Amino acid sequence: MKKIVLMMMALVGALAAQAIDYTYLTFETTDGQKASVAVESLTLNISGTTLTAGSQQFTLSNLAKMYFSTTDETATGIETIDSGQLTMDDSAEIYDLKGHKIENSKLLNRELPHGVYIVKTNSRTYKMIIR
Amino acid sequence: MIALVLTIAASGQTLNVKVGNVTYQFPASETGDMTYNDGTTLNIMGKTFTLADIDAMTVDNAEVKANQVAVSYDGTSAMVTVAGNVAQYVAPTINGAHVTIAQSNTAAVDDDEITYTLSGSTADGEFALSGSYKCTVSLAGLTLTNPSGAAINITNGKRIQISAKKNTENTLTDGANGSQKACLYSKGQIQLQGNGTLNVVGNTKHAIKSGDYITVKILTLNITSAAGDGINCEEYFQMKSGTVSISGTADDGIQCDLGGDTSTGETADHEDEDSGNIYIEGGTLNVIVTAAAAKGIKAEGDLRISDGDITVKTTGGGLWDSTKLKTKASACLGADGNITISGGTINLTSTGAGGKGINGDGNFTATGGTLIIKTSGNAVVASSNGTLSTVSSSQQLDRYDSDYKSSPKGIKIDGAILISDNAIISVTTTGAGGEGIESKTNINITGGQVTVNAVDDAINSSYSDATKGTSGAGDLTISGGYVYARSSGNDGIDANGNCYIKGGLVYAIGTTTPEVAIDANSEEQKKLYVTGGTIIAIGGLENGSSLTQSCYSASSWNKNTWYAITVGSETFAFKTPSSGGNTLVVSGASQPTLKSGVTVSGGTSIFDGVAYTNATISGGSSVSLSSYTGGGGFPGGGGFPWGGGGPGGWN
Repeated sequence: MKKIVLMMMALVGALAAQAIDYTYLTFETTDGQKASVAVESLTLNISGTTLTAGSQQFTLSNLAKMYFSTTDETATGIETIDSGQLTMDDSAEIYDLKGHKIENSKLLNRELPHGVYIVKTNSRTYKMIIR
Repeated sequence: MIALVLTIAASGQTLNVKVGNVTYQFPASETGDMTYNDGTTLNIMGKTFTLADIDAMTVDNAEVKANQVAVSYDGTSAMVTVAGNVAQYVAPTINGAHVTIAQSNTAAVDDDEITYTLSGSTADGEFALSGSYKCTVSLAGLTLTNPSGAAINITNGKRIQISAKKNTENTLTDGANGSQKACLYSKGQIQLQGNGTLNVVGNTKHAIKSGDYITVKILTLNITSAAGDGINCEEYFQMKSGTVSISGTADDGIQCDLGGDTSTGETADHEDEDSGNIYIEGGTLNVIVTAAAAKGIKAEGDLRISDGDITVKTTGGGLWDSTKLKTKASACLGADGNITISGGTINLTSTGAGGKGINGDGNFTATGGTLIIKTSGNAVVASSNGTLSTVSSSQQLDRYDSDYKSSPKGIKIDGAILISDNAIISVTTTGAGGEGIESKTNINITGGQVTVNAVDDAINSSYSDATKGTSGAGDLTISGGYVYARSSGNDGIDANGNCYIKGGLVYAIGTTTPEVAIDANSEEQKKLYVTGGTIIAIGGLENGSSLTQSCYSASSWNKNTWYAITVGSETFAFKTPSSGGNTLVVSGASQPTLKSGVTVSGGTSIFDGVAYTNATISGGSSVSLSSYTGGGGFPGGGGFPWGGGGPGGWN
């Protein structure tokens, strides 16, 4: 009996450890466009013909489906940007792939090492490669 | 176990969809695509919401247990939370604190059933459930009163588990003058269980009613009031364990009826059984009923007790049945079928007029357990117009037809009585007309220990109109065991047919002539046959007995005195009563010796302390014994001047 209990505890622990963390709720409209919203403390409100999810608003009749996702699927892919062409306002946030926040000034001063970074602005989130 | 693990581990993000006071909880890991349709509906895990009905949707980290529906009562309102995996099958309707749920699934969900967990308190609410598949109703600290109907009303015809969660106390109360069948009603089978406590008050009819069977295990169940029965069910009732207390009922404590017209009898594992049987297999059962002619436990089929600690008390008097034109009386245990006792400790007390310990229409078989019965009411009689009264002496009963009287008997059985093996039975009646043990067919004692102190016949084997004249009708046979039968106003042992003493130890005490210690129906050419056993008979034997085994009598006996009878190497100590017939007759496999005024130490007490086996005997004086060939109060019956009804008697 004790063995069974221990085995159950191990199984529970294993499954819990493997539980997928769905950090986004992604909306897909009838034209295939996707927009992801972070789920932390998320409230969805329906008012009339509009659904509001965080900073996103959708016309109900345009919505095809929604689903939980592990990534922000708003981004359509990796964009290669010449840092010389980059213009950023002070509110943009830059993260390395370890999740460490990088000071904007390092980008503007061309002090960033080569690599992949996540850039989050008021309007979108995307990946940036410094070559 | 896998299902359990999955249930426990279901955590992470949860989408909550709130519609009125109902919240549906969908685990993010299970939702998949949640589809919108024309801007009017949203489908999640098979549940379709009308968007206009949704009050809010939120995402949090609430843990969702699969197959769970929680109903929380709070004063005049109630909240319902539904796990996402069963959302499509559960349709709640809430009106104040009145919660009605329609469960539409017809198959198990994720290999399990839906559990409805009820908690909170309301003085004006209910839980109503319809559907067609088995489920569990878990009570988790619930006080639910419905002044206008049943507290819990389940019209689902399938098996319902009603479980009181550990360390919780739950109380259900229904309204008076309603149309409901019970405070807790289920059309289907009810399995009552759980480590918690459930209190039930039934103000309109029964406290608990099932249209099918009811089982009880582990649960502490208190029924404190009912306008009808405490528990009423059909098919069968089974108590496996737990503690059930029933009081304050206006009718029976537990009643089980046949559901259909024909009994299936007991089936393997009770599968598809419709027998009207009651099975008590363990636990503690306390029943007190006070209504006239009420039964503590009543089975339309058989009553079988194999274990448990059972205490039943009836206090109600008699009743005139104007339909059947006969008197009725209370009984602690009653069965239209057979009654079998193979274990347990059973204490039965009946204090009302005509009240009985056990009243059975079929056979009675006791092979084990301890059965203690005490009745104290007088016999109840009815005039020709059904007016009831009681009598103060057994002799007054003789002028009443059987339908117009009901005597307070310890055990009254229409069929045969068989007592054997390890059964221990003690019966005491103190009211007028109180017989100890009576069969209307025949009595066979092959073992066990029977102790009867009665006002009327202590042990009476009789016959009914149906059995009269049939072979063996009214016969009484003792071939083993220990039998003590004392009547203060009639025969100790009375066979309306033949009486056979073949073995065992029999200590019988009858009152004075013309009654005897051991009687047979010599008026109808029946006899007492003594072919074995050890016999002590105060009051002598019936005249004309066939005494193949020699009997002996003493010229006198002393009341309230310890005697010792020795047959071969066996010595048996017994105390004489305070009164009884004149002749003391003894018999054994070999000629007994008898000593009076002995001191008894050690040994094993039997017959409620008036006898010992294997005791150490000291002192006393030898009693002279003479051959005895019969008696019965008829001069010369035994051929000796002290042969029953002769000189001598107790001092």
